[in-house]
Amino acid sequence: MSVQAPRKQLKPLPYLLIFPTAVFVALFTAWPVLLSLYQSFFRQRMNIARFREPTFIGFGNYIDLFSDPYFIQTIKNTLNYILGTVPISIVLGFLFALLVNRKVRGIGFFRLAFFHPMVLPMVSAATIWMFFFTPDYGLFNTALGLLGYTGPQNWTGNPNLALLSVIIVAIWKNSGYYMIFYLAGLQNLPGDVYEAAALDGANGWQTLWQITFPLLRRTTVFISIVAFIDAFRTVDHIFVLTSGGPSRGSTVLLFELWQQRFEYQDIGASAAITVIFVVVLLAFTVTNFILSERKEA
Amino acid sequence: MRNKKILLVVLTFLLVGSVVGFSTTAIAQEEEPVTIQVFYPVAVDAPIAEILNGYIDDFQAEYPYITVEPVFSGGYADVQTAIQTTIDGGGEPPAVAVLLATALYDLINADYIAPLDGYIADMEDGEAYVEDFLPAFLANSYYDDQLWSIPFQRSAVVLYYNADMFAAAGLEPPTSWESWAEAAQALTVTEGDTTNWGMHFSSDWPYWLFQPLAIGAGQNILEDDCTVVFDDPAVIEAVQFLIDLSGEYGAMPAGVQASWGTDTTDLASGATAMIAHSSGSLAGLLAQSDFELGVMPYPGKEEGTYASVPGGGNFYIMKGAAPEKQDAAWKFIEFLSRPEYVADYSINTGYIANRYSAYETDAMVTYVEEVPQALATRDALEFSGAELATQNLGQVRGIFHDYIQRAINGEMAAAEAMAAAQVEADAALADFCP
Repeated sequence: MSVQAPRKQLKPLPYLLIFPTAVFVALFTAWPVLLSLYQSFFRQRMNIARFREPTFIGFGNYIDLFSDPYFIQTIKNTLNYILGTVPISIVLGFLFALLVNRKVRGIGFFRLAFFHPMVLPMVSAATIWMFFFTPDYGLFNTALGLLGYTGPQNWTGNPNLALLSVIIVAIWKNSGYYMIFYLAGLQNLPGDVYEAAALDGANGWQTLWQITFPLLRRTTVFISIVAFIDAFRTVDHIFVLTSGGPSRGSTVLLFELWQQRFEYQDIGASAAITVIFVVVLLAFTVTNFILSERKEA
Repeated sequence: MRNKKILLVVLTFLLVGSVVGFSTTAIAQEEEPVTIQVFYPVAVDAPIAEILNGYIDDFQAEYPYITVEPVFSGGYADVQTAIQTTIDGGGEPPAVAVLLATALYDLINADYIAPLDGYIADMEDGEAYVEDFLPAFLANSYYDDQLWSIPFQRSAVVLYYNADMFAAAGLEPPTSWESWAEAAQALTVTEGDTTNWGMHFSSDWPYWLFQPLAIGAGQNILEDDCTVVFDDPAVIEAVQFLIDLSGEYGAMPAGVQASWGTDTTDLASGATAMIAHSSGSLAGLLAQSDFELGVMPYPGKEEGTYASVPGGGNFYIMKGAAPEKQDAAWKFIEFLSRPEYVADYSINTGYIANRYSAYETDAMVTYVEEVPQALATRDALEFSGAELATQNLGQVRGIFHDYIQRAINGEMAAAEAMAAAQVEADAALADFCP
């Protein structure tokens, strides 16, 4: 037996240092995901005595879900919710950041005004908005009325407006948060680029689109990941404002997951939704990561 | 002098010690100390935690070997979720929990709760104990001839009205759908941009407030845990009446109203003349209103008929708790169903006192003289049917909500919506009721 000297010595310290984190990630992230994946292949309903013990049904839960028109509607609602919240919150966050990125007396007040919805818990924010949305005398309807709005006022009860009303609350809540990231980005921009642009006679619009926005690209990538994930995982305001209704019109994926697990006590179906969730989020994050790394290179 | 003082102190301690020692041994016999947890929700605008802590102090003084740990866990759904996750995760559930009376079948099917018949049989007069509860509140306690829960914080659907507005318009409280709709129409007043409505009816979680309409038309929406009745002509008529209140009579805002949280304020401020709501809102409404507040069951379709439906939470004993904890839990439940505590809880929270004997306590007699409306909420129960409690409740209720909201929002005709709801609900019950 010949002993070969190792070319590189295995250094235990780095592994030791990440060990606690690895354990936590394995225990609280990887293990539940694997467990859900496993459970999603079984039929198990806690509120039916004879289905309490899991039975293997292969892809049965997935097939059931995707052949259920309610679930398809839930997916559509989720997509609409994401399309409705993510781009607008980001654009608003950017505009707010431009607005408050100047040296004016009392600018702190405006920054705070844009940022404060973020500090509120979602349930409180939704409760406030519940009163804003009240027909007849609610603040939101009154304000819209002053702008000449004469359409329906029953925001949370109208099947065409319920999803929009939870989207509005999410935008109101998140724009200020994204503003903070853009503000930090803006304040780190190199001043000499702007001096050069001014010397070359670029106007404000050109400076904004050709210099500021491209320089903030990394910030935008980061914010869009945060916003996308956030759109998937906030659900509290739906409980407060619409309970997923009317007629499931504002039921999104996470709300449906809760409903399947705790209202219908269907462990198999809720596990399947969890898996769908993880796959979508993972796909999005990985794609985003690869794309941004490639451009950086 | 000094020695005498010390002697006195020592003697006092001996005396007190022997008395305390004697009394605890007398009551506790050879009981081992036991600690139980009580999971409870807060679903009304009342200092429930404070009130319960007071009762627990009294209870522990009487049963020194039992320690009760109250655990506030959010709303009803949150308490049930907390228990489910505890049990599924392999933990020991609380010995006793306050959960919706209608959660019965889901809890039995999941094997979470223990029947209580053994405890009743061991009581000196168990039959009298059970019969003292208002029968409407026991409707969801029995299954398979066994008793599974004891009523605790119970309420009923009632119609609140602004009696001053009725008097000013020369109207009597309604006695039928017709007079109800006419009163609502007469009390709907539009001045400029603002409308003061005759009626508000919250419909974002509609089955509960709707049920008395169906009962008032002569057909409740369920028959038993396996049979729902959504497509009966009487039920469809009730859905249509609700729609007509806004469409035909123009007495109520149109469409689904997510107004549970604002309706009481609107009644108190005069923005509406009547609201359908829980009896549990009585205390808050009385505190806010500067007019005479009327409370009654819904008028039924026919002249002189009325309808209501009970709601609220019961005590359940969890099967997964150790036997000695279950026994201690029963003692706690029995303690809290003593008339004086039932009366006190009702007076301090607005829930309906759930036992006949509670109405004979001095506290309740005095209270009812001051607040006769409290009696009106109880009397509404004379006209009540069973609250929607079925197998697979979450799904069946979701289906009903889905379709009645379509009808209210004008997306489907009432008959069409209820027929579709019936088909889906029957399918959702098929696995449960072979």
